[in-house]
Amino acid sequence: MFDTILFIFAALAAIVGGILTISVKNLMHACVFLLLTLLGVAGLYLTLGADFVGVIQLVVYVGGVVVLMVFAVMLTSGSNAQKVNRFGMVKIPTMGNFRTYTLAGIFAALILMSIIKLYRNVFSMARLEKLPEYYPTVSKIGHSLVSTHVLAFEISSVLLLGALVGAAIISRPKREMR
Amino acid sequence: MNQTVVSYLLQFEPIKKLVLSLSNLLGFNAISIVSFLIFLIVILIVVGFLATVGGLGTYAERKISADMQARIGPNRVGPYGILQFLADGAKMLLKEDIIPTQSDKFLFYVAPMLCIVGVFGTIAVIPFSSGFTILNFNVGLVYLIGISSLVGLGVFLGGYGSNSKWSMLGGMRGASQIISYEIPVVLSSLSIVLLSGGLSFSALIGAQGGWPHEWFIFHNPFTFIGFFILFIGSLAETNRAPFDLPEAESELVSGYHTEFSGMRFGFFALAEYIEVFVVCGLATALFLGGYNVPMHLGGDGLIGQVLQVGSFVSKTFLLYYIVIVTRWTLPRLRVDQLMTMCWKYLIPIAMFNLIMVGLWMWLFDGRSLFTLLFKSASVASGAGH
Repeated sequence: MFDTILFIFAALAAIVGGILTISVKNLMHACVFLLLTLLGVAGLYLTLGADFVGVIQLVVYVGGVVVLMVFAVMLTSGSNAQKVNRFGMVKIPTMGNFRTYTLAGIFAALILMSIIKLYRNVFSMARLEKLPEYYPTVSKIGHSLVSTHVLAFEISSVLLLGALVGAAIISRPKREMR
Repeated sequence: MNQTVVSYLLQFEPIKKLVLSLSNLLGFNAISIVSFLIFLIVILIVVGFLATVGGLGTYAERKISADMQARIGPNRVGPYGILQFLADGAKMLLKEDIIPTQSDKFLFYVAPMLCIVGVFGTIAVIPFSSGFTILNFNVGLVYLIGISSLVGLGVFLGGYGSNSKWSMLGGMRGASQIISYEIPVVLSSLSIVLLSGGLSFSALIGAQGGWPHEWFIFHNPFTFIGFFILFIGSLAETNRAPFDLPEAESELVSGYHTEFSGMRFGFFALAEYIEVFVVCGLATALFLGGYNVPMHLGGDGLIGQVLQVGSFVSKTFLLYYIVIVTRWTLPRLRVDQLMTMCWKYLIPIAMFNLIMVGLWMWLFDGRSLFTLLFKSASVASGAGH
């Protein structure tokens, strides 16, 4: 009963936050509601017994991604004083034309197809009467990261190194043109 | 399942009896209701305790600074002025709630709450004693680091939402500082995770002992350095001097909370003082033996629990005192010095420490420096013959 109540709270936070994120016009407020969504998703992971994933969701998204987003919004707003007010993108005149609608339609179809593909397996599976017993996942994830999925692990570290080098090159002071 | 304060209390007969009689009375298994009630009571106790610590922290700060500057400090409300924090609290609650007309009202409302939520979220895993930990989460350390990063967001949104140049500068400084200094803190706590082989606070503390030579700070030279890196990083994360750039009085009036008044300002101040307690508790748990009592005095019973709480809280308050004394001793850093210190000194040293602790584990099989010295001394004096 306790678990169900917590699950409902987390799901409500995720859904309400998601709806508010896409419905508010102020970009900064959207970031705050996105924070609510991400906290809700972390709560969902935790109530489903995926403790490590839930906590990493907190560390990465709450501590990193949302702060970076807020920073980016703040630093880029106000650069184009005619079209954009100090909070972001309220004054953009039209929110779409033929090209954007076509692209959005294609992407929506793609996402829908992949979601259907994912959920077909879920629905065809036999229903679990009872959830499997709770088991801490940290050591499992650690072992599989350095044994089965070691290649993916290393490749992702190379990706991060590339991002680091790219950031260093972009932020380097430009030399004088000759 | 993770061990909680409920599962600890359910060992005892009276609680079991209470569950049974409630189950008979209500006609269904009352374990959920009882655990909810226990959680409620324990959380009320801990929140009340931490709020008092935050309030008394302001009093201690003023009294210690007064002592260091040969003044008297607060001395009117109560004996030695100790009730000054209650008077301040009442004043803040009764003050007019001023919201600047040009501010972003939503962010102005949300920012203090984010700060206070981030700090009070950490109390779930603070290890007061082996039984009296609200939740002995098996990834408790990561949870503490994750949930306390809400404070940085609160600081930044407070600065941004008040629409003032001072607040904005303070908020930007605060966010960049908190993000940067999280890295050395996490790196130096990772070395302790390596040594103890667990992310839960019970594993981290259980790998240490009650006597100082069994603490991780004296385990090897690299953890000794790691403690100071963690402590410096914690100071910077809580915006305490010498890293109080976000609220630098001499440059930015009051930094990110310049425009806040009444209880909204009170939330920021309370969050700061409680967070100092939390990070001091983290340093205690990781490096200073946590709640361990020498010779396991008192056993696992109630007396043992009380002694453990005393051990943890007294070490934490000692660190709290050092934090306050540091604030009134050192001058403030410049912004560039702050970033240089973090990225050019603390992070490389912390990384080196992490690698060397791993090497120490591999070379000496995880034995502490003291054990090695004692062994060689006993061998030299002819032990084993």
